[in-house]
Amino acid sequence: MLGSVPTTPKSIEAYRAVIGDERMEEILGFAQQLRGARVLHVNATAFGGGVAEILATLIPLMNDIGLDADWQVIRGADEFFNVTKAMHNSLQGMYYDWTPAMREIWLSYNRMNAEAFDASYDFVVIHDPQPAAVPTFLEERTGRRDGKWVWRCHIDLTDAQSDVWDILRPHVERYDGAIFTLPDYVKDDLAGPEIFSVPPAIDPLSPKNVDLSSETVDEILSRYGVDPQRPMVTQISRFDPWKDPLGVIDVYRTAKHEFPDLQLVMIASMASDDPEGWSWYERTVRRAGEDFDIHILSNLNGVGNVEVNAFQRAARVVIQKSVREGFGLVVSEALWKGRPVVAGNVGGIPLQIEDGKTGFLVNTADECSEKLLYLLRNRKAADQMGARGVEFVRDRFLTTRYLRDYLHIFCQLSGKESATTASHTRMQRVRP
Amino acid sequence: MYGTLALSHRALDELAGVAGERTIAELRAAARSIEGLRVLNLSVTGFGTGTAELLNSSVPLLTDLGLDVHWQVVRASEDAASVNRAMYDALSGRSVSWTQEMTDTWLRYAAMNGDLLTEEFDVIIVHDPQPLAMRSYVETNLRAKWVMHSHLDLSSAQPEVWMLLRGHVEKFDLAIFPAESFARQDVSIPVRIVTPAIDPLSARNMPLPDDLVRTVLMQSGVDPDRPILCQMAPCEAASDLTGVVDAWHLVKERRPDVQLVIVLMTQPTDPTGRACYEDLASRAIDEPDVFIVPVGRPLGDVEINAFQRSATVMVQKGLRKGFGLWISDALWKGRPCVVAPVGSLPEQIVDGETGLLASTTEEFASCIERLLDNPEFAGKLGENGHRHVASRFLITRYLRDYLAILNSLHRMA
Repeated sequence: MLGSVPTTPKSIEAYRAVIGDERMEEILGFAQQLRGARVLHVNATAFGGGVAEILATLIPLMNDIGLDADWQVIRGADEFFNVTKAMHNSLQGMYYDWTPAMREIWLSYNRMNAEAFDASYDFVVIHDPQPAAVPTFLEERTGRRDGKWVWRCHIDLTDAQSDVWDILRPHVERYDGAIFTLPDYVKDDLAGPEIFSVPPAIDPLSPKNVDLSSETVDEILSRYGVDPQRPMVTQISRFDPWKDPLGVIDVYRTAKHEFPDLQLVMIASMASDDPEGWSWYERTVRRAGEDFDIHILSNLNGVGNVEVNAFQRAARVVIQKSVREGFGLVVSEALWKGRPVVAGNVGGIPLQIEDGKTGFLVNTADECSEKLLYLLRNRKAADQMGARGVEFVRDRFLTTRYLRDYLHIFCQLSGKESATTASHTRMQRVRP
Repeated sequence: MYGTLALSHRALDELAGVAGERTIAELRAAARSIEGLRVLNLSVTGFGTGTAELLNSSVPLLTDLGLDVHWQVVRASEDAASVNRAMYDALSGRSVSWTQEMTDTWLRYAAMNGDLLTEEFDVIIVHDPQPLAMRSYVETNLRAKWVMHSHLDLSSAQPEVWMLLRGHVEKFDLAIFPAESFARQDVSIPVRIVTPAIDPLSARNMPLPDDLVRTVLMQSGVDPDRPILCQMAPCEAASDLTGVVDAWHLVKERRPDVQLVIVLMTQPTDPTGRACYEDLASRAIDEPDVFIVPVGRPLGDVEINAFQRSATVMVQKGLRKGFGLWISDALWKGRPCVVAPVGSLPEQIVDGETGLLASTTEEFASCIERLLDNPEFAGKLGENGHRHVASRFLITRYLRDYLAILNSLHRMA
């Protein structure tokens, strides 16, 4: 057995008030067909990062609706995690000089983890490349592989380094199913598994998204020196060239001519071991200069989920001026708080914003300034857009939809799909 | 010129409601004679450490008091960073194999950073051991007073690494330690003690509405209506996290409704941290009333605040090094605490008055039970604890200590 991760319980019924009866019944219908199914999720870590965050919600909800779900993490020493970090980066398009020794390290730890695999499940979901070769070695050792195996890829493989993808691909091809975030992320030469796309989602009941009273919001703003009485715009993102933090300051300055009261809050998600992030942080601080209406905050300063929630709620407009983006789920977070979003027309952002209805998709800094000014000048239009955004996210980007997609995939892979339940699914079956 | 940080403006007067008008007036009086004093704080990181938290609060407040205070970050390249980490470990008392090559790297970066110090200051305060050797290379700032403010417990530092450091420390004008027990006896320069402090106005300590506290708890599956034991600690063996689970087990025999929440203050990133997490996880996996947070997402200050506020009893079973200032956070919120007599915890917890001291698992269990069984006694300890923190561990007291030191350095100059 691998290392089990304890999760804390959740109740699906708590979501009924948020999503309504119809969506709830759909989930419970799938759950009925999968009652008692043993599900195992395997990934590399219980900490830090989107995958662990998703699993911490998904697994308790699966258990609550009657599946028997477990979460385990693979074991490895530093040499393994160094190799998988390089693998992860190179699959996202960063170049690494990939050596045979690295491949051997990856394979040997996968073999070791496959040897520790001693139970059988109806569905095994392997997340990301780190443990992807486990089923290969499990079959090699035992001659068989129980249940349906699904590879869940959370990364964009579009620009994957080809020799690294070639190491991974034969192992992925043995799976029954493969799930990608967007259809675009799928490699053309991947054959074998049935391919699905499931976009990420936000948890409406988490401290990052739950409703906060306006007193609490104002109070939190004051603690960070932001004046709740004056208009504020915010961008929440890492500091790197792809999120254009310097451009955000320029856009704010354009708007400040007309709205001298305007404040800008930039919240960075920083890693202490990321020198490039630090250098962009410092460039951003320098660009802000002596303007104390620009507040530059970070997770390492104690700004966490509730704080981000408060800043998003308090913003007149939320900016996401990305020039390159993964999915950009922070856009849905902001929309869910009823705020209009002005965001770069890249990555997964166009899937989340209906241009001109829930916000604006922009391609240039000038466009970004123009749309920001429009929304600052027209508060009523901004609020209406925000309200439409809430409904859009309710329909497509809540964690309950994410759960439903998984259930639907399990049903499809095990031949339990029923005609009645597939009616308004948004999960795409990309290739059978 | 090193890394710059974005600091918010702070007004000292905002603290009057908590610390009293008189305290604020005293601070202003103490600052008058050193108005405009140019002070440079140097640290290796701007974030995520107790040192950074203190500077984040104190630098804007000293600025508001009229001093010309700067905070710059000496950032290290990859190879220097790994030497810095090894030095930090060695100074904290862990055994590290220190090589001549590491000494060379350390000194090379000290010399390089020394060259970068071109602005003139009256006082230069070095907050981390790693940039201390800069003092030996700097050719500017000839009249500046140099202060080492060590936030680490150096009492059990690995001798060879400490000896290396000591040669440079001796060139300083003053050394500051957070506690008597953290200080070195073998330095000839004057030593002052400045206890760390909490900022009562930070998001970590602000009052929170009850429904928000409940939301944070329920998101982690914790029942806000049942008693909660809470320990916050780094994910490392010295925190004795499995010992906390043992103590909870004993308590649970008589009080089956008690829940245990373990808040991991650091995420396990190295093999020993991962091993510690695995031990804990294997103990918790079949215990529905044991909660390990965070899973996945790191906690922010408001969430930490909520967990502290919700604790029926706050526990600190082990502690490797450092001050354990989150116990002061909890006391400020009026929570009764049971702590081990390690590090500087006994300064915060006066046994039987502001909390209880316990050593063995059995002692922990019986102290916890005593507090659960006597809410009045527990409430009394919490009230005393709040007063204790108000008089000794607030940022205003820290500012007062700092102003006194800066005044005396100014007079020396």
